[in-house]
Amino acid sequence: MVLVSAVRDYVYRMLQDISGMKVLILDSQTVSIVSVVYSQSELLQKEVFLVELIDSISKSKESMSHLKAVYFLRPTSENIQYMRRQLSNPRFGEYHLFFSNMLKDTQIHLLADSDEQEVVQQVQEFYADFIAVDPYHFTLNMPSNHYYILPAVVDPSNLQHFCDRAVDGIGAVFLALKRRPIIRYSRASDIAKRIAHETAKLMYQQESGLFDFRRMEMSPLLLIVDRRDDPVTPLLNQWTYQAMVHELIGIQDNKVDLRSIGKFPKDQQEVVLSSEQDAFFKANMYENFGDIGMNIKRMVDDFQQVAKSNQNIQTIEDMAKFVDNYPEYRKMHGNVSKHVTLVTEMSKIVEEGKLMLVSETEQDLACNGGQVAAFEAVTNLLNNESVSDIDRLRLVMLYALRYEKESPVQLMQLFNKLASRSAKYKPGLVQFLLKQAGADKRTGDLYGNRDFLNIARNMARGLKGVENVYTQHQPLLFQTMESIIKGRLRDVDYPYVGNHFQQGRPQEVVIFIVGGTTYEESRSVAQLNASNSGIRFILGGTAVLNSKRFLKDLEEAQGIARSNANVV
Amino acid sequence: MILKELRRRSLLGGLCKTNTMKDQSFANGESRYRLQLRFLLNKGAATVGLPPAWVDVSEEIASNVQRARVKMNELAKAHAKALMPSFGDGKEDQQNIEALTTEITNLLKKTEKKLLQKLSAAGPSEDSNVRKNVQRQLATDLQNLSMELRKKQSTYLKCLRQQMEDAADLEMNLNGNRPKEEDDDLDDMIFSEHQMARLKQSEVYTVEREREIQQIVESVNELAQIMKDLSVLVIDQGTIVDRIDYNIQNVATTVEEGLKQLQKAERTQKQGGMVMCATVLVIMCFVMLVLLILKEIIF
Repeated sequence: MVLVSAVRDYVYRMLQDISGMKVLILDSQTVSIVSVVYSQSELLQKEVFLVELIDSISKSKESMSHLKAVYFLRPTSENIQYMRRQLSNPRFGEYHLFFSNMLKDTQIHLLADSDEQEVVQQVQEFYADFIAVDPYHFTLNMPSNHYYILPAVVDPSNLQHFCDRAVDGIGAVFLALKRRPIIRYSRASDIAKRIAHETAKLMYQQESGLFDFRRMEMSPLLLIVDRRDDPVTPLLNQWTYQAMVHELIGIQDNKVDLRSIGKFPKDQQEVVLSSEQDAFFKANMYENFGDIGMNIKRMVDDFQQVAKSNQNIQTIEDMAKFVDNYPEYRKMHGNVSKHVTLVTEMSKIVEEGKLMLVSETEQDLACNGGQVAAFEAVTNLLNNESVSDIDRLRLVMLYALRYEKESPVQLMQLFNKLASRSAKYKPGLVQFLLKQAGADKRTGDLYGNRDFLNIARNMARGLKGVENVYTQHQPLLFQTMESIIKGRLRDVDYPYVGNHFQQGRPQEVVIFIVGGTTYEESRSVAQLNASNSGIRFILGGTAVLNSKRFLKDLEEAQGIARSNANVV
Repeated sequence: MILKELRRRSLLGGLCKTNTMKDQSFANGESRYRLQLRFLLNKGAATVGLPPAWVDVSEEIASNVQRARVKMNELAKAHAKALMPSFGDGKEDQQNIEALTTEITNLLKKTEKKLLQKLSAAGPSEDSNVRKNVQRQLATDLQNLSMELRKKQSTYLKCLRQQMEDAADLEMNLNGNRPKEEDDDLDDMIFSEHQMARLKQSEVYTVEREREIQQIVESVNELAQIMKDLSVLVIDQGTIVDRIDYNIQNVATTVEEGLKQLQKAERTQKQGGMVMCATVLVIMCFVMLVLLILKEIIF
């Protein structure tokens, strides 16, 4: 609840004290920030009768001075330019400016200069600079996410933008939570170190007054890790509801766009999957596919009963009852058809791509041993015609990540087979991934084969057997969180920034994954939070990944690296 | 805590910051004085302007809704009073309830009609978007009121029916107790008289209650009609239509679509066969007129 309620609180405070008819003006990023937590009907309750984007509102010249304008923008130089133009020709009666992060003094001076007609009533900073997709999961939705992969020398200015956005987002999270954390980062990753140091500089030096909150006994912990420490999780096929929808279709800002996978009637083309607003989704978002099928069937049966009783109207009383329950009925109908459509489409995709077969091998590659068996399985699947190109690439990548050292000959064979089968995907991408996220580059024990304790644990698990072959994978994040709970996060792997040190366990932990999070990881976080371990975890990243997005980032980074190499 | 978190920079009336910046560029104190004078004179410049006409209609509707709410509270009190056991006939209470209910239903119907007619907006302008949103919000309020009214009425109905049954039961029990005490013959005569009297009374009672129930059912139907009409306007919560970003996208596409339609209409009109026909006919008329005049002159 924590992140969602923080942003909702900010929006409420923006609108509460301004009376009369309002127009809310957002930019392309704050639209996402506000849309996931506040609905249109709630805005209407607050007398906001028009919502516009800042670039489209500049085009119109209509004067609407009976409306009061509420601006909620990110403090970028572009937005300041738009604001200056609009303040010099004001269209609305009053202007209330809210910014989602800290304004620089120069920006304030610029705004003050252009406010010649003195229409601005207030300027405030409300630190809602992140998209709260779930109660304990936020993202920054960065469009060009791939810069984290490249070394700093390749494109320093874009990398600086990337880091700045990440630092701004993390700063806003802690300002919203009203805490100042102790910062640790993943040793092997340069970009994690850079972001950690810049965040520390922001919180402890540049804006130390702003961040100087009341200290509790234990400061919270901010842990910055790199996506490349765990490249396996985004590559896997998912079988729990939310993660599966994102992997097969794609969720953006809690909305699912079904137009890319088929023709649907107008009201089913885009649907909302939000745990705050949909009780069925909230109960089922972390359940696996089989259980979801059963639960949906039960929901459909309930609905059919209600529908039957609605058709059986004989007395006036029945009619009255029908009209009473009609809004509920309509809502239920909409909800049922939404979930049924989603599950049907996903079943179709699973069937066509033989994803169950592929996923079994993937899970084996990620979790269990047996190089020979794995090699055979991967070869068979590469030969299978129904497996799509992208799935073949993923299989080879997973094999390469696991067995890169064990049998180079066989690995080359797989590369050649992949090259011959898939015109689109070159094995060069796999090698790029290995270079970036190979065994020597990773912090932490991804496969549980570095530490004796982990090896023993794996063997025990293998002997015991698993409940469900398709969901046996636990992301590396889970192990990291468990170590934090036990207070055993190694300083060697995750050093502290500056001279901060912490004895014992923190009570609140924010984990920021540079390069993006996945819904499988947010599921682990939610489950750990629900198990009352005494620590509250919050997960955030620069984007929410599925395998397509992760591969796209890799490809783009590879392209830039290659062109850079050519130039040099 | 709040002060530290929200660093308020007040640009109200162009205070400190504007003046300081300009101070740095002007050296003399005279300009500063002029600036301050301008600040004082312009204090009231930023006023909220006059709204367009339809805002009056929306305010009227909002005040109607408020009045209806007040009346509903009165109705709730009247319901409670009527249900309490009383010595009198209870006719006054019934009439009061009927009057209030009809008043509220009429008010709601009138407001609904006004909402659908006067506030409907056409065209893709920003103003029409504001109108549409105002309409939606008022429709939601109105629908909630209608539903509340119906709930109150159905509970009242239920209580009434319950009372009827209780009364009938009570009478049955009373009837049942008598026969044991009296003689058979006397029983029959007195019994039938008693019975007849009681029957008549309960008949009157039943007829009255029936009438009340019938009225309530009628008003229920009317409200159902209102709700059906309004449901087109009200947003379903939790669906895609309730998302801010979806609405922004839609507005953008609608505006573009509207523009394209307008341009197309303009083009078709210009090329229209109608215009051509009309022009040709007018020319023909002139030609005929000229020929007529010529004919008169020559002959």
